[in-house]
Amino acid sequence: METKKTVLAVAAAGTVAGVAGLVLLASPAGAGEAPPALPEIGPEALVESVLSTTELPALSGAVSLENNLGLPVPGLSEMGQDGAVRVFTDGNGKHRLQLPSDGGETTVIDDGKTVWVWDSVDRTVQKTAHGAEGKGKAETPLESRFADPATAARELVDTMRADSTVAVDGTARVAGRPVYQLVLAPQPDERTLLREIRVSVDSETRVPLQIEVLANGQADPAVKVGFTEFTAGPQDASLFQFTPPAGAEVTEQTPDKEFRGESAEDLFAGLDIEPYGEGWDTVLTGTVPADLLTSQLPTGPRGEAGPGGNPLDLLGTIGKEVSGDFGTGYVIKAKVGTALITEDGKVALGFVPEEVVTEAVNQMK
Amino acid sequence: MTTAPVRAPLPRLLRSELRFMLRRPRTLIALLALAIMPVIAGVSIAIAADSMGGGRNAAIEGIASMVEGNGMMLPVLVLLLAVTMLLPLIGSMWAADAIAGEAATGGLRNLLLAPVSRVRLLAVKAFGVATLSLLAVVVMAVVSVLAGVVFLGGAEMVTVSGTTLPFTEALGRVALLVVAVTVQVWAVAAVALAISTCTDHPLVVLAAATGGIIIFTVLGEIPSLDWLHPLLLTESWEAVADVARDPLPMNGLTEGFLRAACYLVIGYSLALARIVTRDG
Amino acid sequence: MTIDPPALSPKPGVGAGGLSGVRRRAVTHDVRADEQVNSVAGMTMAQAPAGLAARTRDLRKVYGRTVAVNHVDLDVPVGSVLGMLGPNGSGKTTTIRMLLGLVTPTAGTVELLGHPLPDGAAAALPDVGALVESPGFHPFLSGRENLLRCAAAEPRLATGAMAGAVDVALERVGLAAAAGRRYRGYSLGMKQRLGLAAALLLPRRLVVLDEPTNGLDPAGTREVRAVIADLHDAGTTVLVSSHLLAEVEATCTHVAVLHRGSVVAQGGLRELLEAGSTGLLVTTPDVTVAVNALRDNRIPARATPEGVYADLTATTAPEVVANLVRAEVAVHEVRRQRTGLEDLFARLTENDTVHHRLSDDGPADVLDEEFPR
Repeated sequence: METKKTVLAVAAAGTVAGVAGLVLLASPAGAGEAPPALPEIGPEALVESVLSTTELPALSGAVSLENNLGLPVPGLSEMGQDGAVRVFTDGNGKHRLQLPSDGGETTVIDDGKTVWVWDSVDRTVQKTAHGAEGKGKAETPLESRFADPATAARELVDTMRADSTVAVDGTARVAGRPVYQLVLAPQPDERTLLREIRVSVDSETRVPLQIEVLANGQADPAVKVGFTEFTAGPQDASLFQFTPPAGAEVTEQTPDKEFRGESAEDLFAGLDIEPYGEGWDTVLTGTVPADLLTSQLPTGPRGEAGPGGNPLDLLGTIGKEVSGDFGTGYVIKAKVGTALITEDGKVALGFVPEEVVTEAVNQMK
Repeated sequence: MTTAPVRAPLPRLLRSELRFMLRRPRTLIALLALAIMPVIAGVSIAIAADSMGGGRNAAIEGIASMVEGNGMMLPVLVLLLAVTMLLPLIGSMWAADAIAGEAATGGLRNLLLAPVSRVRLLAVKAFGVATLSLLAVVVMAVVSVLAGVVFLGGAEMVTVSGTTLPFTEALGRVALLVVAVTVQVWAVAAVALAISTCTDHPLVVLAAATGGIIIFTVLGEIPSLDWLHPLLLTESWEAVADVARDPLPMNGLTEGFLRAACYLVIGYSLALARIVTRDG
Repeated sequence: MTIDPPALSPKPGVGAGGLSGVRRRAVTHDVRADEQVNSVAGMTMAQAPAGLAARTRDLRKVYGRTVAVNHVDLDVPVGSVLGMLGPNGSGKTTTIRMLLGLVTPTAGTVELLGHPLPDGAAAALPDVGALVESPGFHPFLSGRENLLRCAAAEPRLATGAMAGAVDVALERVGLAAAAGRRYRGYSLGMKQRLGLAAALLLPRRLVVLDEPTNGLDPAGTREVRAVIADLHDAGTTVLVSSHLLAEVEATCTHVAVLHRGSVVAQGGLRELLEAGSTGLLVTTPDVTVAVNALRDNRIPARATPEGVYADLTATTAPEVVANLVRAEVAVHEVRRQRTGLEDLFARLTENDTVHHRLSDDGPADVLDEEFPR
């Protein structure tokens, strides 16, 4: 027989347990956990081991992006809101990516011969024979042209050391896995807004699991891309096969065309990009055709009110008008970098403060 | 005569409670309404493909775009629509009737006088509410499957990820969906039951549940409160649509399940504390 | 109100002669009950003796700032039919609800069939049948289905015996013919009968009836009396609250009178009516001090036009005087009060308040009807 006191005690314990459970659910996984103990490793050896992983091992995981730039990045911010990108690879060049979009999903399957892109909102399938679109973009492995990873790593680290301090800063956990943290920080004389770039390398597979970009004076990373789930191991072969579902509209793409974003490609080709400076304060400079800046902007894809006017007007709303030797232009500042666009189409951007981009524009012809 | 405590057999109490709830006209009306909803949805989609759009919620839109000609997706759409308001309210209605409603008619006194301990009384009531909530979700799911196959066709499920699941596997996904939705409804009903033990007015319970769901939904849409979002029960509700993705992502479903379990424990604990202290 | 002819037929052995039969039995039982009351009087806070079916000590219930019940020491002797009398708001229903464990007392103790509440509720309640305030049944179920729902919760009823017990109880309250009809269509009297049937589903040791004749026509009232008489014959203790003095006189062996949340008189009916030693009239100018002094010592007392009236059910005259002297009350005169139930009741409840009207302007034996919440 239960007395009132026992019942009340049980009820109180239950309430506390429930609230504790909620708080536990709300707190990030692994918070407060001691960093895992891993054998010591030098930066060269760590980089070497990363480079020798020319192809991703078989894995499944989820990648998400945290954007704290202080600037909306079209496309990227949407990806962060809708949820993580799910990634599958079989370790032999077959990939599957599932990107959330508009409540539906865009699934990209590379079965080794053909790349299929399924869009659930339109219920369309794009089929591209292999050639143009090879690898998943979220985890493109480092280039395999380093025939000798040991040498390459040494050279790479040496190059980086010219303007950076490279160190292994202890261990941590990413997606529940123990990682080494490779930290690249600019030398004190570098004129950059960045404080450091932190790469978390899986201690077992040596896959970089997470990249964080930290700006000066910011506690939280300005950009954080990484796995939130990561499971290494053989994947079910059926994941990398695709049969267009009944009722889907299938279009075939020719291999030499990008499966999407060709206009962006053209744009960048016309920009005539040149670097200015070196190391952390490298500024990319280029020229935008002046007519592009004054052309009329299209309205938004879903019919939402477009900013209206031409790109220069838009720049006027998000940037700050400045003038100098280069004439008149607009400066757009984010936490990690600065961009300057002049009215005559000169563009400079980098992870640097305003005076460096101004300097870069001034030296342009 | 001995006075050793004797208890009425629990199965008998549970049976009696269920029979009672199923005889209630409002229970039958609610179940009928829930059964009609998928039929209306199925017919209207079959007639006008875009009728379920409207763009109020990305997750709903994402599923809605998949329903046409894909009947096994109808239960996902219907339950996704219903889990955001209709089903929690119906669960709350039963929770409201269970204690507050009985108190309003004086029936609670009868039950307290019949020497059913208050803890057992709450257990019986919670069982009744939970069983009917499950029944409500099952009714919706079964009618949706039938309406989907009949009006929209396609015994296979084309998932949001573009894969095609055979009928049996699709049924398995619907079963998982039923479990996921039911647990969320249970969580709301448990909290509603706690409120129900504090008042004699069933409408207060319904108003509190409706208000709570609306407030939680609004809070969930304020980005600057993102630290609060993992605490909100409503945050798990869209994840039930994950059953329509392939391979099945379990993260959102598991998290939703755990969150609902926390609310369930809190709700029943508070209800327990209140029922043993309340005056009949 | 319509009642089917079978429902009106009197029970065997009760009917025209039923009233006198009840009275006669009541008187014969008085002797035993009186002894119990007397034996109880001396021992206040000790373990409840076997002779009490229910007992409260120093019971108090406060709702917000309203004191509903204060210092109630109620004794319900085993085998008695105790009538609880009191005007509106006198705390009758609150006391009954505390007695049944429905309401948690603010202070004080309750023992029900020898089990302290609330922890002993599970042991005590199976032997208690109760009809409290308006019976709460569900309008969409028939009378029989409503009772079956109650029966399912009765621990002492085997599952196979439920239907039989329900039919017997329906027969007993004269509802057998209307058992299949929905509760929604029941008249007030039929609803009351169904509540009574729920209380009588199986043999009880104690039956508590709050206003059982509420809404019943004269025939129904007679039947309730017959049921109470039957219960009494079977040795069941009955606690009945009523606003009908005639009914109490006809059916009860014991009486407790509540007024403003306190018991102002209790004891055997005959004792209260005829023994005449129920009260002490004290003439004093310090009325308030005197009343408070006596109530502080849990002697029921109230102000009268001449002074103070002290109830002697649980105490003696010297005790009262001693208390008054201790409180430095100036006592001019002390004399015994002789009273009849009606007089007693009127005096106990009507004075010392300007706003409280009682039987003085209505039918002599009818108090204000006590409405359910």
